Amino acid sequence: MRQVAIAGVGLVKFGRYDGQKGRPYREIYELGAEAIKKALDYASMEWKDIQVAYGASMFGGLGVPNQCTSRLGMPGIPITTLEGACSSSQQSLRQAYLDVANGLYDVALAFGAEKIPPGLIADTLSPVWMLMMGFNLPAMYAIDTRRYMQESGITEEDMARVAVMERKNGIRNPNAFWYQGAEITIEEVLGSREIATPIRFLMACANADGASAAVVCSMDKLKSKSRAVTVVASSHATSTFGYDNLGIRVHEKVNLNCTELACKQVWETSGYGPEDMEVIQLYEAMSPSFLWDAEHCGFCKPGEVGKLLREGHFEIGGKLPANTDGGLMGRGHPTGATGLAQLIELFLQLRGEAGERQVPNAKIAFAHCSGGGPNGVCHVLKR
Amino acid sequence: MAASTKKQIPCRDGLWSIPSSLDEKPQLIGSKCPNCGEVFFPVNSVCVNCQSQAMNDIKLSRRGKVYSVSTVMLPPPQWYKGPVPFDLGYVELPDGVMIWTRLMGSGAGSFRIDQEVELDIDVMQVDDEGNEILGYCFVPVKS
Repeated sequence: MRQVAIAGVGLVKFGRYDGQKGRPYREIYELGAEAIKKALDYASMEWKDIQVAYGASMFGGLGVPNQCTSRLGMPGIPITTLEGACSSSQQSLRQAYLDVANGLYDVALAFGAEKIPPGLIADTLSPVWMLMMGFNLPAMYAIDTRRYMQESGITEEDMARVAVMERKNGIRNPNAFWYQGAEITIEEVLGSREIATPIRFLMACANADGASAAVVCSMDKLKSKSRAVTVVASSHATSTFGYDNLGIRVHEKVNLNCTELACKQVWETSGYGPEDMEVIQLYEAMSPSFLWDAEHCGFCKPGEVGKLLREGHFEIGGKLPANTDGGLMGRGHPTGATGLAQLIELFLQLRGEAGERQVPNAKIAFAHCSGGGPNGVCHVLKR
Repeated sequence: MAASTKKQIPCRDGLWSIPSSLDEKPQLIGSKCPNCGEVFFPVNSVCVNCQSQAMNDIKLSRRGKVYSVSTVMLPPPQWYKGPVPFDLGYVELPDGVMIWTRLMGSGAGSFRIDQEVELDIDVMQVDDEGNEILGYCFVPVKS
Protein backbone atom coordinates (compact mmCIF):
# COMPACT_ATOMS: atom_id res chain seq x y z
CA MET A 1 0.00 0.00 0.00
CA ARG A 2 1.16 3.53 -0.80
CA GLN A 3 1.75 6.22 1.76
CA VAL A 4 -1.22 8.61 1.94
CA ALA A 5 -1.14 12.23 3.08
CA ILE A 6 -3.90 14.57 4.15
CA ALA A 7 -3.30 17.53 1.86
CA GLY A 8 -5.92 19.92 3.15
CA VAL A 9 -8.88 20.26 5.47
CA GLY A 10 -11.91 22.50 5.74
CA LEU A 11 -14.58 23.05 8.36
CA VAL A 12 -17.73 25.12 8.49
CA LYS A 13 -18.15 26.33 12.07
CA PHE A 14 -20.42 23.97 13.95
CA GLY A 15 -23.51 25.88 14.98
CA ARG A 16 -27.07 26.45 13.90
CA TYR A 17 -27.95 27.47 10.36
CA ASP A 18 -31.72 27.28 10.77
CA GLY A 19 -32.70 30.94 10.38
CA GLN A 20 -34.24 30.92 13.88
CA LYS A 21 -33.58 33.46 16.64
CA GLY A 22 -31.50 35.71 14.38
CA ARG A 23 -29.25 32.86 13.24
CA PRO A 24 -28.36 32.61 9.54
CA TYR A 25 -30.19 30.16 7.31
CA ARG A 26 -27.99 27.98 5.10
CA GLU A 27 -28.79 24.90 3.04
CA ILE A 28 -26.89 21.71 3.82
CA TYR A 29 -25.44 21.84 0.28
CA GLU A 30 -23.94 25.26 0.94
CA LEU A 31 -22.31 24.00 4.12
CA GLY A 32 -20.81 20.98 2.37
CA ALA A 33 -19.57 22.98 -0.62
CA GLU A 34 -17.93 25.57 1.64
CA ALA A 35 -16.04 22.91 3.61
CA ILE A 36 -14.85 21.26 0.39
CA LYS A 37 -13.71 24.57 -1.04
CA LYS A 38 -11.76 25.34 2.14
CA ALA A 39 -10.07 21.92 1.99
CA LEU A 40 -9.10 22.45 -1.66
CA ASP A 41 -7.73 25.93 -0.87
CA TYR A 42 -5.74 24.54 2.05
CA ALA A 43 -4.28 21.84 -0.24
CA SER A 44 -3.58 24.40 -3.00
CA MET A 45 -5.65 22.22 -5.30
CA GLU A 46 -8.62 22.77 -7.54
CA TRP A 47 -11.89 20.91 -7.85
CA LYS A 48 -10.71 19.33 -11.14
CA ASP A 49 -7.86 17.64 -9.22
CA ILE A 50 -10.34 15.47 -7.30
CA GLN A 51 -10.67 12.00 -8.86
CA VAL A 52 -13.10 10.36 -6.44
CA ALA A 53 -15.23 11.53 -3.51
CA TYR A 54 -16.94 10.03 -0.49
CA GLY A 55 -19.57 12.22 1.15
CA ALA A 56 -21.47 11.58 4.37
CA SER A 57 -24.76 12.71 5.78
CA MET A 58 -27.14 11.11 8.23
CA PHE A 59 -30.22 13.34 8.08
CA GLY A 60 -29.74 15.17 4.78
CA GLY A 61 -31.89 12.86 2.65
CA LEU A 62 -31.26 11.82 -0.90
CA GLY A 63 -28.06 12.66 -2.73
CA VAL A 64 -26.63 15.22 -0.34
CA PRO A 65 -22.98 14.63 -1.35
CA ASN A 66 -23.79 15.12 -5.05
CA GLN A 67 -25.72 18.29 -4.25
CA CYS A 68 -22.74 19.64 -2.30
CA THR A 69 -20.22 18.89 -5.04
CA SER A 70 -22.45 20.05 -7.90
CA ARG A 71 -22.08 23.58 -6.44
CA LEU A 72 -18.40 23.32 -7.35
CA GLY A 73 -18.47 21.53 -10.68
CA MET A 74 -19.76 18.45 -12.42
CA PRO A 75 -16.78 16.43 -13.60
CA GLY A 76 -18.59 13.08 -13.64
CA ILE A 77 -16.33 11.45 -11.06
CA PRO A 78 -17.64 8.70 -8.75
CA ILE A 79 -19.23 10.28 -5.68
CA THR A 80 -20.35 7.79 -3.06
CA THR A 81 -22.78 8.56 -0.26
CA LEU A 82 -21.86 7.05 3.09
CA GLU A 83 -24.14 6.72 6.07
CA GLY A 84 -22.63 5.04 9.10
CA ALA A 85 -24.53 6.95 11.78
CA CYS A 86 -22.27 9.13 13.93
CA SER A 87 -19.05 7.82 12.36
CA SER A 88 -20.20 8.45 8.75
CA SER A 89 -17.58 10.98 7.71
CA GLN A 90 -14.70 9.18 9.41
CA GLN A 91 -15.72 6.25 7.22
CA SER A 92 -15.58 8.66 4.24
CA LEU A 93 -11.99 9.51 5.05
CA ARG A 94 -11.18 5.83 5.40
CA GLN A 95 -12.59 5.04 1.95
CA ALA A 96 -10.72 7.96 0.37
CA TYR A 97 -7.55 6.79 2.13
CA LEU A 98 -8.00 3.18 0.92
CA ASP A 99 -8.49 4.27 -2.68
CA VAL A 100 -5.26 6.25 -2.67
CA ALA A 101 -3.32 3.72 -0.60
CA ASN A 102 -4.31 0.96 -3.04
CA GLY A 103 -3.32 3.04 -6.05
CA LEU A 104 -6.80 3.33 -7.56
CA TYR A 105 -6.67 7.12 -7.46
CA ASP A 106 -4.06 9.72 -6.55
CA VAL A 107 -6.30 12.46 -5.13
CA ALA A 108 -9.52 11.76 -3.22
CA LEU A 109 -12.02 13.83 -1.29
CA ALA A 110 -13.82 12.95 1.95
CA PHE A 111 -16.51 15.14 3.45
CA GLY A 112 -19.55 15.25 5.66
CA ALA A 113 -22.42 17.75 5.89
CA GLU A 114 -25.33 17.88 8.28
CA LYS A 115 -28.30 19.87 9.41
CA ILE A 116 -30.06 18.03 12.19
CA PRO A 117 -33.46 18.53 13.74
CA PRO A 118 -33.55 20.14 17.22
CA GLY A 119 -34.15 18.09 20.35
CA LEU A 120 -33.84 14.34 20.76
CA ILE A 121 -32.96 12.69 17.47
CA ALA A 122 -35.60 10.46 15.91
CA ASP A 123 -34.58 6.81 16.02
CA THR A 124 -34.56 5.01 12.68
CA LEU A 125 -32.38 2.21 14.00
CA SER A 126 -34.90 0.28 16.06
CA PRO A 127 -38.09 -1.66 15.31
CA VAL A 128 -41.37 0.21 15.75
CA TRP A 129 -42.61 -2.14 18.48
CA MET A 130 -39.65 -1.15 20.65
CA LEU A 131 -40.27 2.54 19.96
CA MET A 132 -43.92 2.03 20.94
CA MET A 133 -42.75 0.57 24.26
CA GLY A 134 -40.67 3.68 24.90
CA PHE A 135 -37.28 2.73 23.47
CA ASN A 136 -35.02 5.75 23.00
CA LEU A 137 -31.32 6.24 22.41
CA PRO A 138 -30.45 8.38 25.46
CA ALA A 139 -32.06 5.75 27.70
CA MET A 140 -29.92 3.05 26.13
CA TYR A 141 -26.81 5.09 26.89
CA ALA A 142 -28.16 5.54 30.40
CA ILE A 143 -28.81 1.82 30.92
CA ASP A 144 -25.29 1.07 29.76
CA THR A 145 -23.93 3.81 32.01
CA ARG A 146 -25.71 2.54 35.12
CA ARG A 147 -24.19 -0.92 34.66
CA TYR A 148 -20.78 0.55 33.86
CA MET A 149 -20.90 2.63 37.06
CA GLN A 150 -21.67 -0.49 39.10
CA GLU A 151 -18.84 -2.48 37.53
CA SER A 152 -16.15 0.22 37.32
CA GLY A 153 -16.83 2.46 40.30
CA ILE A 154 -17.21 5.46 37.97
CA THR A 155 -19.24 8.28 39.53
CA GLU A 156 -21.59 10.92 38.15
CA GLU A 157 -18.90 13.43 39.08
CA ASP A 158 -16.42 11.67 36.77
CA MET A 159 -18.96 11.93 33.95
CA ALA A 160 -19.51 15.60 34.73
CA ARG A 161 -15.77 16.23 34.64
CA VAL A 162 -15.65 15.13 30.97
CA ALA A 163 -18.44 17.59 30.12
CA VAL A 164 -16.61 20.42 31.90
CA MET A 165 -13.31 19.64 30.16
CA GLU A 166 -14.82 19.44 26.68
CA ARG A 167 -16.71 22.70 26.95
CA LYS A 168 -13.57 24.38 28.24
CA ASN A 169 -11.76 23.16 25.09
CA GLY A 170 -14.65 24.15 22.82
CA ILE A 171 -14.50 27.72 24.10
CA ARG A 172 -11.01 27.97 22.55
CA ASN A 173 -12.00 26.56 19.17
CA PRO A 174 -13.31 29.10 16.60
CA ASN A 175 -15.04 26.25 14.72
CA ALA A 176 -16.82 24.90 17.81
CA PHE A 177 -20.45 25.22 18.77
CA TRP A 178 -19.32 26.32 22.23
CA TYR A 179 -16.74 28.86 20.94
CA GLN A 180 -16.45 31.81 23.32
CA GLY A 181 -19.17 30.27 25.46
CA ALA A 182 -19.09 30.16 29.24
CA GLU A 183 -17.18 27.58 31.24
CA ILE A 184 -19.39 25.27 33.23
CA THR A 185 -18.79 23.65 36.61
CA ILE A 186 -19.23 20.09 37.83
CA GLU A 187 -22.04 21.36 40.06
CA GLU A 188 -23.84 22.87 37.08
CA VAL A 189 -23.59 19.60 35.16
CA LEU A 190 -24.88 17.61 38.15
CA GLY A 191 -27.67 20.15 38.66
CA SER A 192 -28.80 20.13 35.02
CA ARG A 193 -32.03 18.45 33.97
CA GLU A 194 -32.12 14.66 33.88
CA ILE A 195 -32.69 13.11 30.45
CA ALA A 196 -32.56 9.46 31.51
CA THR A 197 -30.96 8.65 34.86
CA PRO A 198 -28.03 9.01 35.44
CA ILE A 199 -27.55 11.07 32.22
CA ARG A 200 -28.18 14.79 32.50
CA PHE A 201 -28.64 17.50 29.91
CA LEU A 202 -25.09 18.88 30.21
CA MET A 203 -23.63 15.36 29.83
CA ALA A 204 -25.09 15.13 26.31
CA CYS A 205 -23.55 16.27 23.03
CA ALA A 206 -24.68 19.54 21.48
CA ASN A 207 -26.84 19.03 18.39
CA ALA A 208 -25.35 21.22 15.69
CA ASP A 209 -25.22 21.83 11.95
CA GLY A 210 -21.91 21.93 10.12
CA ALA A 211 -19.64 20.43 7.53
CA SER A 212 -16.14 18.96 7.31
CA ALA A 213 -13.92 18.03 4.38
CA ALA A 214 -10.45 16.68 3.69
CA VAL A 215 -8.40 16.06 0.57
CA VAL A 216 -6.11 13.02 0.70
CA CYS A 217 -3.47 12.18 -1.87
CA SER A 218 -0.37 10.20 -2.70
CA MET A 219 2.88 11.81 -1.52
CA ASP A 220 3.87 12.87 -5.05
CA LYS A 221 0.69 14.93 -5.40
CA LEU A 222 1.30 17.00 -2.25
CA LYS A 223 1.91 20.66 -3.15
CA SER A 224 4.04 21.12 -0.04
CA LYS A 225 5.79 18.37 1.89
CA SER A 226 6.56 20.61 4.85
CA ARG A 227 5.03 19.14 8.03
CA ALA A 228 3.08 16.63 5.92
CA VAL A 229 0.53 14.63 7.87
CA THR A 230 0.10 11.01 6.80
CA VAL A 231 -2.51 8.40 7.58
CA VAL A 232 -0.55 5.63 9.30
CA ALA A 233 -3.44 3.20 9.75
CA SER A 234 -7.19 3.01 9.44
CA SER A 235 -9.65 0.46 10.76
CA HIS A 236 -13.37 -0.16 10.76
CA ALA A 237 -15.16 -2.86 12.73
CA THR A 238 -18.82 -3.65 13.22
CA SER A 239 -20.97 -5.51 15.67
CA THR A 240 -19.78 -8.77 17.16
CA PHE A 241 -22.04 -11.40 18.68
CA GLY A 242 -23.12 -10.56 22.22
CA TYR A 243 -23.85 -6.85 21.80
CA ASP A 244 -27.06 -5.05 20.88
CA ASN A 245 -27.35 -2.51 18.09
CA LEU A 246 -25.88 0.24 20.27
CA GLY A 247 -23.01 -1.92 21.39
CA ILE A 248 -24.36 -2.77 24.82
CA ARG A 249 -23.21 -6.18 26.01
CA VAL A 250 -26.30 -8.33 26.17
CA HIS A 251 -24.74 -11.75 26.46
CA GLU A 252 -22.40 -13.39 28.90
CA LYS A 253 -20.21 -14.54 26.00
CA VAL A 254 -17.28 -12.15 25.86
CA ASN A 255 -16.19 -11.03 22.41
CA LEU A 256 -14.35 -7.81 21.70
CA ASN A 257 -16.88 -5.06 21.03
CA CYS A 258 -16.61 -3.08 17.79
CA THR A 259 -14.48 -0.35 19.41
CA GLU A 260 -12.06 -2.86 20.91
CA LEU A 261 -11.90 -4.73 17.61
CA ALA A 262 -11.24 -1.57 15.56
CA CYS A 263 -8.55 -0.52 18.04
CA LYS A 264 -6.88 -3.93 17.99
CA GLN A 265 -6.68 -3.67 14.20
CA VAL A 266 -5.41 -0.10 14.14
CA TRP A 267 -2.70 -0.80 16.72
CA GLU A 268 -1.60 -3.96 14.89
CA THR A 269 -1.47 -2.36 11.45
CA SER A 270 0.10 0.91 12.61
CA GLY A 271 2.88 -0.69 14.61
CA TYR A 272 2.12 1.78 17.41
CA GLY A 273 0.31 1.40 20.69
CA PRO A 274 -1.79 3.67 22.88
CA GLU A 275 1.30 4.58 24.88
CA ASP A 276 2.85 6.22 21.80
CA MET A 277 0.00 8.69 21.20
CA GLU A 278 0.43 12.38 21.99
CA VAL A 279 -3.04 13.75 21.29
CA ILE A 280 -6.27 11.79 20.86
CA GLN A 281 -9.94 12.00 19.93
CA LEU A 282 -12.51 9.79 21.66
CA TYR A 283 -16.15 9.55 20.68
CA GLU A 284 -18.68 10.64 23.31
CA ALA A 285 -22.21 11.51 22.28
CA MET A 286 -22.84 11.23 26.04
CA SER A 287 -20.01 11.92 28.50
CA PRO A 288 -19.86 8.40 30.02
CA SER A 289 -18.80 6.96 26.65
CA PHE A 290 -15.59 9.00 26.87
CA LEU A 291 -14.81 6.98 29.99
CA TRP A 292 -15.42 3.52 28.61
CA ASP A 293 -13.87 4.38 25.24
CA ALA A 294 -10.69 5.48 27.03
CA GLU A 295 -10.59 1.93 28.45
CA HIS A 296 -11.66 0.11 25.31
CA CYS A 297 -9.11 1.97 23.17
CA GLY A 298 -6.33 1.03 25.61
CA PHE A 299 -5.55 4.46 27.08
CA CYS A 300 -6.05 3.28 30.65
CA LYS A 301 -6.65 0.18 32.69
CA PRO A 302 -10.24 -0.72 33.64
CA GLY A 303 -11.35 1.41 36.60
CA GLU A 304 -8.48 3.87 36.23
CA VAL A 305 -10.13 6.53 34.07
CA GLY A 306 -11.84 8.44 36.92
CA LYS A 307 -8.53 8.95 38.69
CA LEU A 308 -6.85 10.08 35.44
CA LEU A 309 -9.59 12.63 34.83
CA ARG A 310 -9.22 14.02 38.35
CA GLU A 311 -5.48 14.40 37.70
CA GLY A 312 -6.13 16.38 34.49
CA HIS A 313 -4.56 13.61 32.38
CA PHE A 314 -6.78 14.31 29.33
CA GLU A 315 -6.75 18.11 29.54
CA ILE A 316 -4.74 20.35 27.22
CA GLY A 317 -1.50 20.52 29.21
CA GLY A 318 -2.09 17.04 30.66
CA LYS A 319 -0.20 13.86 29.77
CA LEU A 320 -2.56 12.82 26.96
CA PRO A 321 -4.77 15.67 25.75
CA ALA A 322 -8.10 14.40 24.39
CA ASN A 323 -10.86 16.08 22.39
CA THR A 324 -8.86 19.29 22.33
CA ASP A 325 -11.38 20.91 19.98
CA GLY A 326 -14.20 20.37 22.44
CA GLY A 327 -15.32 16.91 21.39
CA LEU A 328 -18.98 16.23 20.72
CA MET A 329 -20.06 18.27 23.72
CA GLY A 330 -17.94 21.38 23.11
CA ARG A 331 -17.37 21.24 19.34
CA GLY A 332 -20.91 20.05 18.74
CA HIS A 333 -22.25 17.01 16.93
CA PRO A 334 -23.52 17.46 13.37
CA THR A 335 -23.67 13.67 13.07
CA GLY A 336 -22.56 13.23 9.45
CA ALA A 337 -19.75 15.79 9.79
CA THR A 338 -18.41 14.72 13.19
CA GLY A 339 -16.05 11.82 12.48
CA LEU A 340 -14.01 13.79 9.98
CA ALA A 341 -13.97 16.88 12.22
CA GLN A 342 -12.20 14.69 14.80
CA LEU A 343 -9.46 13.92 12.26
CA ILE A 344 -9.26 17.57 11.19
CA GLU A 345 -8.49 18.60 14.78
CA LEU A 346 -5.71 16.01 14.93
CA PHE A 347 -4.38 17.24 11.57
CA LEU A 348 -4.26 20.82 12.89
CA GLN A 349 -2.57 19.65 16.09
CA LEU A 350 0.07 17.74 14.13
CA ARG A 351 0.63 20.73 11.84
CA GLY A 352 1.03 23.05 14.84
CA GLU A 353 -1.99 25.10 13.76
CA ALA A 354 -4.34 24.52 16.67
CA GLY A 355 -3.89 27.99 18.15
CA GLU A 356 -4.79 28.27 21.83
CA ARG A 357 -5.50 24.56 21.94
CA GLN A 358 -2.10 23.50 20.60
CA VAL A 359 -0.44 20.49 22.22
CA PRO A 360 3.27 21.39 21.99
CA ASN A 361 5.12 19.50 19.26
CA ALA A 362 2.54 16.73 18.83
CA LYS A 363 3.74 14.28 16.17
CA ILE A 364 1.39 11.33 16.40
CA ALA A 365 -2.31 11.13 17.06
CA PHE A 366 -5.27 8.76 17.34
CA ALA A 367 -8.99 9.07 16.67
CA HIS A 368 -11.89 6.81 17.52
CA CYS A 369 -15.44 7.29 16.33
CA SER A 370 -18.53 5.16 16.91
CA GLY A 371 -21.89 4.90 15.27
CA GLY A 372 -25.10 3.05 15.83
CA GLY A 373 -25.26 -0.34 14.22
CA PRO A 374 -22.87 -0.48 16.00
CA ASN A 375 -19.60 0.37 14.32
CA GLY A 376 -16.20 1.61 15.39
CA VAL A 377 -13.72 3.48 13.20
CA CYS A 378 -10.14 4.33 14.20
CA HIS A 379 -7.25 6.21 12.62
CA VAL A 380 -3.64 6.91 13.50
CA LEU A 381 -2.17 10.06 11.95
CA LYS A 382 1.45 11.13 12.02
CA ARG A 383 3.54 14.13 11.06
CA MET B 1 -53.81 -6.27 33.69
CA ALA B 2 -56.75 -3.97 34.22
CA ALA B 3 -60.07 -5.01 32.64
CA SER B 4 -61.08 -2.63 29.89
CA THR B 5 -63.70 -2.22 27.20
CA LYS B 6 -61.21 -0.60 24.86
CA LYS B 7 -59.54 -2.63 22.18
CA GLN B 8 -56.17 -3.97 23.24
CA ILE B 9 -53.51 -4.31 20.55
CA PRO B 10 -50.09 -5.90 21.11
CA CYS B 11 -47.24 -3.66 19.97
CA ARG B 12 -46.22 -6.64 17.86
CA ASP B 13 -47.73 -10.09 17.46
CA GLY B 14 -45.64 -13.08 18.47
CA LEU B 15 -43.48 -11.48 21.13
CA TRP B 16 -45.22 -13.40 23.91
CA SER B 17 -47.47 -16.46 24.22
CA ILE B 18 -51.22 -16.03 24.73
CA PRO B 19 -52.39 -18.15 27.69
CA SER B 20 -54.97 -20.78 26.76
CA SER B 21 -56.29 -21.14 30.32
CA LEU B 22 -56.56 -19.08 33.51
CA ASP B 23 -53.79 -21.14 35.15
CA GLU B 24 -51.36 -20.26 32.43
CA LYS B 25 -49.32 -17.07 32.27
CA PRO B 26 -47.83 -15.41 29.20
CA GLN B 27 -44.20 -16.09 28.35
CA LEU B 28 -41.85 -14.34 25.97
CA ILE B 29 -41.14 -16.40 22.85
CA GLY B 30 -37.54 -16.73 21.78
CA SER B 31 -35.45 -18.92 19.50
CA LYS B 32 -33.00 -21.60 20.54
CA CYS B 33 -30.28 -22.87 18.27
CA PRO B 34 -30.13 -26.69 18.26
CA ASN B 35 -26.54 -26.53 17.03
CA CYS B 36 -24.79 -24.21 19.53
CA GLY B 37 -27.52 -23.82 22.14
CA GLU B 38 -27.69 -20.04 22.04
CA VAL B 39 -31.02 -18.39 22.87
CA PHE B 40 -32.38 -15.23 21.26
CA PHE B 41 -35.25 -12.82 21.77
CA PRO B 42 -37.28 -11.97 19.79
CA VAL B 43 -37.60 -14.94 17.43
CA ASN B 44 -34.93 -15.09 14.73
CA SER B 45 -34.75 -17.58 11.87
CA VAL B 46 -30.95 -17.68 11.82
CA CYS B 47 -28.56 -18.25 14.74
CA VAL B 48 -26.54 -15.05 14.99
CA ASN B 49 -23.78 -16.99 16.73
CA CYS B 50 -23.25 -20.04 14.44
CA GLN B 51 -25.52 -19.22 11.45
CA SER B 52 -27.56 -22.42 11.82
CA GLN B 53 -30.97 -22.04 10.20
CA ALA B 54 -32.69 -24.81 12.14
CA MET B 55 -33.95 -22.58 14.94
CA ASN B 56 -36.60 -23.73 17.41
CA ASP B 57 -39.13 -21.50 19.13
CA ILE B 58 -38.99 -21.70 22.93
CA LYS B 59 -40.94 -20.11 25.74
CA LEU B 60 -38.55 -18.16 27.93
CA SER B 61 -38.38 -18.15 31.73
CA ARG B 62 -40.76 -15.71 33.34
CA ARG B 63 -38.34 -14.69 36.07
CA GLY B 64 -35.01 -12.95 35.83
CA LYS B 65 -32.72 -10.35 37.38
CA VAL B 66 -32.35 -6.68 36.49
CA TYR B 67 -29.04 -6.26 34.65
CA SER B 68 -29.35 -2.50 34.44
CA VAL B 69 -32.04 0.15 34.53
CA SER B 70 -32.64 3.81 33.73
CA THR B 71 -35.54 6.13 34.45
CA VAL B 72 -36.57 8.01 31.31
CA MET B 73 -37.33 11.62 32.27
CA LEU B 74 -37.97 13.19 28.86
CA PRO B 75 -40.63 11.95 26.41
CA PRO B 76 -39.02 9.98 23.56
CA PRO B 77 -39.13 11.83 20.21
CA GLN B 78 -41.59 9.62 18.33
CA TRP B 79 -44.01 6.69 18.58
CA TYR B 80 -44.33 6.75 22.36
CA LYS B 81 -47.15 8.84 23.78
CA GLY B 82 -47.48 7.17 27.20
CA PRO B 83 -46.68 8.57 30.63
CA VAL B 84 -43.24 9.87 31.61
CA PRO B 85 -41.15 9.14 33.68
CA PHE B 86 -40.87 5.41 33.14
CA ASP B 87 -38.21 2.74 33.60
CA LEU B 88 -36.33 0.89 30.88
CA GLY B 89 -33.70 -1.75 31.39
CA TYR B 90 -32.25 -5.12 30.59
CA VAL B 91 -33.31 -8.26 32.42
CA GLU B 92 -31.08 -11.32 32.46
CA LEU B 93 -32.99 -14.59 32.18
CA PRO B 94 -31.69 -18.00 33.32
CA ASP B 95 -32.13 -19.18 29.70
CA GLY B 96 -28.92 -17.27 28.88
CA VAL B 97 -30.50 -14.32 27.13
CA MET B 98 -30.78 -10.66 28.01
CA ILE B 99 -34.12 -8.95 27.41
CA TRP B 100 -34.52 -5.26 26.67
CA THR B 101 -37.68 -4.30 28.54
CA ARG B 102 -39.94 -1.86 30.34
CA LEU B 103 -39.82 -2.19 34.14
CA MET B 104 -43.20 -1.53 35.74
CA GLY B 105 -45.41 -2.32 38.72
CA SER B 106 -43.42 -0.17 41.10
CA GLY B 107 -42.66 3.55 41.13
CA ALA B 108 -40.37 4.88 38.41
CA GLY B 109 -36.83 5.00 39.74
CA SER B 110 -37.35 2.21 42.28
CA PHE B 111 -35.63 -0.68 40.46
CA ARG B 112 -32.16 -1.85 41.39
CA ILE B 113 -29.52 -3.89 39.59
CA ASP B 114 -29.84 -7.61 40.47
CA GLN B 115 -33.43 -7.17 41.67
CA GLU B 116 -35.63 -10.24 40.97
CA VAL B 117 -38.40 -9.48 38.52
CA GLU B 118 -41.03 -11.39 36.58
CA LEU B 119 -42.81 -10.99 33.27
CA ASP B 120 -46.10 -9.18 32.88
CA ILE B 121 -48.09 -7.78 29.95
CA ASP B 122 -49.33 -4.23 30.40
CA VAL B 123 -50.54 -1.12 28.61
CA MET B 124 -47.65 0.90 27.20
CA GLN B 125 -49.73 3.75 25.78
CA VAL B 126 -53.12 4.61 24.33
CA ASP B 127 -53.21 5.36 20.61
CA ASP B 128 -55.13 8.20 18.90
CA GLU B 129 -58.24 5.98 18.49
CA GLY B 130 -58.25 5.14 22.20
CA ASN B 131 -56.89 1.60 21.76
CA GLU B 132 -54.54 0.32 24.42
CA ILE B 133 -51.15 -0.68 23.04
CA LEU B 134 -49.85 -3.69 24.94
CA GLY B 135 -46.23 -4.51 25.53
CA TYR B 136 -44.27 -6.76 27.83
CA CYS B 137 -42.61 -5.61 31.00
CA PHE B 138 -40.96 -7.01 34.08
CA VAL B 139 -42.36 -6.25 37.53
CA PRO B 140 -41.05 -6.86 41.06
CA VAL B 141 -41.48 -10.47 42.24
CA LYS B 142 -44.21 -10.53 44.86
CA SER B 143 -42.78 -12.17 48.00
